[in-house]
Amino acid sequence: MKLISAVIKPFKLDEIKVAVREVGVTGMTVSQVRGFGRTGGHIEIYRGKEYEFDFVDKLQVEIVVTDELVDRVVDAVASAARTDTVGDGMVWVTDIEHVVRIRTGERGPSAV
Amino acid sequence: MLFAATNIPYPGWLNPGDNTWQLVAATLVGLMSLPGLAVLYGGLVRKKFIVNTMLMCFAGFALTLVVWMLWGYNMAFGTFSHFGPTGSFFAGFIGHFKPLASAFAEQGQAVSGANTLIPFHFPTATLAYFQFVFAAITPLLFLGGLVGRLKFKAWLLIVPLWITMVYCVDAALLWGGGFFAQKGAVDFSGGYVIHLSAGCAAFVGAAIVGPRRWQDRENAFPSNLMMVAVGIGIIWLGWNGFNGGDPFYAGSDAAAAVLNTNVATAVGLLTWMFMDMLFTKQKKATFLGALNGMLCGLVAITPSAGWVDGTGAILVGLIATVLVWVAWNYLSKIRPFSKVDDALGVVYTHGCAGLIGGLLVGFLADPGMIEYGVPGKVYDAAGSFSVSGWFYSHSFHQLWEQFLAAAWIICWTSAITALIFYFVKVTVGLRESDADLAIGDVAIHEEEAFPEPTFGEPVLTPSHTHSDNN
Repeated sequence: MKLISAVIKPFKLDEIKVAVREVGVTGMTVSQVRGFGRTGGHIEIYRGKEYEFDFVDKLQVEIVVTDELVDRVVDAVASAARTDTVGDGMVWVTDIEHVVRIRTGERGPSAV
Repeated sequence: MLFAATNIPYPGWLNPGDNTWQLVAATLVGLMSLPGLAVLYGGLVRKKFIVNTMLMCFAGFALTLVVWMLWGYNMAFGTFSHFGPTGSFFAGFIGHFKPLASAFAEQGQAVSGANTLIPFHFPTATLAYFQFVFAAITPLLFLGGLVGRLKFKAWLLIVPLWITMVYCVDAALLWGGGFFAQKGAVDFSGGYVIHLSAGCAAFVGAAIVGPRRWQDRENAFPSNLMMVAVGIGIIWLGWNGFNGGDPFYAGSDAAAAVLNTNVATAVGLLTWMFMDMLFTKQKKATFLGALNGMLCGLVAITPSAGWVDGTGAILVGLIATVLVWVAWNYLSKIRPFSKVDDALGVVYTHGCAGLIGGLLVGFLADPGMIEYGVPGKVYDAAGSFSVSGWFYSHSFHQLWEQFLAAAWIICWTSAITALIFYFVKVTVGLRESDADLAIGDVAIHEEEAFPEPTFGEPVLTPSHTHSDNN
């Protein structure tokens, strides 16, 4: 079992949802996050004073999948999130030791 | 049969139209403070100072009304304490220190040293409430220069002292029929007594309190621009009562004052916006910039609203906003302005705009704008009241009177404000501690504007017993 995490541009969320559903993913978790990467920040002006916003709004997507699905989901996320401009984000995969489905008590890959 | 002669349950001198308009106008002006200024300032300060700023607004409003009932109204608008020979400065300086409390004091016909032309057609309670909302907004305006570090307890002491020693004196001298009123200086609705005075107090106060923490100045993000829109919108339309109420009659000059106020405001808003689009580095229109221009228009037309014609009103909005824009962008970089942390820029949008508007009366006042006509005769016959500026009279007399009154307001307000702030500094202190300022509302009031709840249901039984918990 693997955890696929991705930091993406916020407006790409729906495309990613559709893409991962097509390859068989049944659930994902989304959080609002901020970060800096190679994009750099932006400027806002209030009452004539400039403020630099270093951290850019992003979404973080987390999907738990079985081992055989990993590559297809990673590809689906990466291609759906791509705009070919700086700041498209990143996808990474980590091992999961154990999973329990709370309602049914199922454990391991069948719980995913 | 006792009531057969009339079935109207109020005295003959009372005019229901005038009384109604005056109470409505007063309520509109009150709404400019609460919630107008409270949410405007709350939206402009950092998120961590919203509660502190709003509570100071509400507490300041309440304090002013209590002071007003106990002594303020009679000091500013009651009969004068003659400290000097008739006609001298100190004969027309300040009224008596006494409360407005009896049945007759509230319900009797309003009189004040200022209404020598025609009597008021409403009771003293109406006049006192109308004048109270003007008094109350003034400390709230200069609060804008002090937010983000002023100690809450200091504010509770500053408001009653400032209303008594600064506002009552300035109001008596210009509006209560005092020395400057007798000399011929005019201030339609408070360009001097309120806005110039608030600008001076904000600047002097901010200099004495000292700047905000550098972290708070560097990160001075406004907390909520939508609340700024709500507040400033109420202030614009509330100004219909501010300027429309000051003829004290629901007549044609009240209508003219309302229209002039709105057109000057519209011109001010557009002027600042276009200047931002043309002359700033970024060449962008900004919402908060447009609002500064809007305030310049409102403040600058205040001393002349019912005495200039439509052309005059447009010129007032244009001239004042151009000058204040230049002051905001360039004067602010020069000492002493660069050294004083006037947090919300009150000295520009209120102080400068009020001064410019007051002096423009001396140029633009149109004698054809009759504030008080002559009853039963030709409306604008001899004995009617209007003001004549240089463009019409070719005399600098009015401008000179306006200048003298402005000089007085600047000197008296600044000096007495300094005195009050130094007194408060040595008694309760002027600043919250830096540790509390770093945290903000939670440290100062144990409240915050947007508490983040924990979503879970409590598990532990409450330690206190309550019938609902049985």
